[in-house]
Amino acid sequence: MSELNINDAVMTTRLDAVVNWGRKNSLWPMPFGVACCAIEFMSMMASRFDLSRFGAEAMRFSPRQSDMMLILGTITNKMAPVLRTIYAQMAEPKWVISVGVCASSGGMYRTYATLQGVDRVIPVDVYVPGCPPRPESMIYGVMKLQEKIEKESLSMRKDHIARFYESLARQEAIQAEKNQTSQQTIREMLMDAGERGVGTIF
Amino acid sequence: MIIEHIDTQLPGTVTDRHAFRGDQTIVIAKENLLAVVALLYREGFQLLVDITAVDWPEREERFDVVYHWLNLASQERLRVKVPVADGGTVPTLTGTFKTADWFEREVFDMFGITFDGHPDLRRLLTWSDFPGHPLRKDFPLDGGDPFCMEGCTAPYNNGERG
Amino acid sequence: MAHPASPFLSVLILLLVAAVTAIAILVLSGWVLPLLKPNNPQAAKMRPYECGVQPLQGGARRKYSVKFYLTAMLFILFDVEAAFLLPWAVNFKQALWTFGAMLSFMATLLVGFIYAWGKGAFEWER
Repeated sequence: MSELNINDAVMTTRLDAVVNWGRKNSLWPMPFGVACCAIEFMSMMASRFDLSRFGAEAMRFSPRQSDMMLILGTITNKMAPVLRTIYAQMAEPKWVISVGVCASSGGMYRTYATLQGVDRVIPVDVYVPGCPPRPESMIYGVMKLQEKIEKESLSMRKDHIARFYESLARQEAIQAEKNQTSQQTIREMLMDAGERGVGTIF
Repeated sequence: MIIEHIDTQLPGTVTDRHAFRGDQTIVIAKENLLAVVALLYREGFQLLVDITAVDWPEREERFDVVYHWLNLASQERLRVKVPVADGGTVPTLTGTFKTADWFEREVFDMFGITFDGHPDLRRLLTWSDFPGHPLRKDFPLDGGDPFCMEGCTAPYNNGERG
Repeated sequence: MAHPASPFLSVLILLLVAAVTAIAILVLSGWVLPLLKPNNPQAAKMRPYECGVQPLQGGARRKYSVKFYLTAMLFILFDVEAAFLLPWAVNFKQALWTFGAMLSFMATLLVGFIYAWGKGAFEWER
């Protein structure tokens, strides 16, 4: 049985090419900067490594005005619901790059306090490893995202985003029903998913 | 120097003492804590540097609440340890030292030691309904996370999965 | 036969370009763009942004002191008076009776001013 090739599943047209060209060359980042990777991000946006050559100069700290969220730093379990809410408030089309090992997998912090990878709570498109990654690595990550966007299609369904909103609704329902904090709800959802062998809650 | 003062003015309170390469430590019982603190304040130890705790699970009085003071005038430092059992309470120092407020909240959060008379004793670093107290020796390092890769071990939970 | 270009030709071109641009923007954003953009309205997306935490209970409306309203109202009144004074000041010398008319206008407002002063509307710290 031949494997399903991405090129068979996604049929791109000239319109798609134009739209994707526009989207990939104007990725406005929203830096979710919480730790050391944010310093490398600042260095990347500055003149030496300059991300604005890729159209990403308009760095917005508001989810409403950006389309690419860069998660820069260690996300603790206490911060996880905040991250989910901010991701939920971004307008589509939206992409996520998880920068650094702390955001990608928990990094060197295998503890009770650190979220073991941000892909447990939100969908991630590109992972950039490093502690911290050099600005050139982060730029390479953005370029990889651009390649991913090129292959998208207007008729393509973004299941991961729909599942994310469903999981957010589930989280809020459980939170209201049990009258817990959002952090504890996410923790319990993660434990449930882990028991079933699933690594994410969406 | 300060230890001699304590011995003279509050005899019998210092149950143990040791010094190592220039630092000095005394162990006192929690009943004498407020008296000793008042004396220290009078003698110039007016900077409370830190409050923390240590868990010795094999001991009867499981926790050691550790205080550090600095005398700004004489540059002398003093460490005070107060043993307390699980469920026991320690008098708060927020009357004399405002900084003790959040230090004691942190100790409560991490170890579960309550402080008598604290104005607002609630968790500081973890979220409000976090189950357990993380820095106790019987709390698993990864918090009981079931999603663990093959072969990883979490200290202090008997090597069980998690 | 060549005819001289009217001086209004440039205005006509400007008008046409403006009309075409406006209609193009309307058509593109009204009919073309909805076909291209993703449309996924979600309740969580529409909530007010408050750095990721729950929004303030009961909104951000608080009761505030009436002195702000008083100050604004008094400002409007005396600012309009000043606005009337300005054109009068330019050419009141042409006739004597305009001077008197303005004085009576200002006298009316002066009565109101003294009343507001007496009532303590100008004291901020009350």
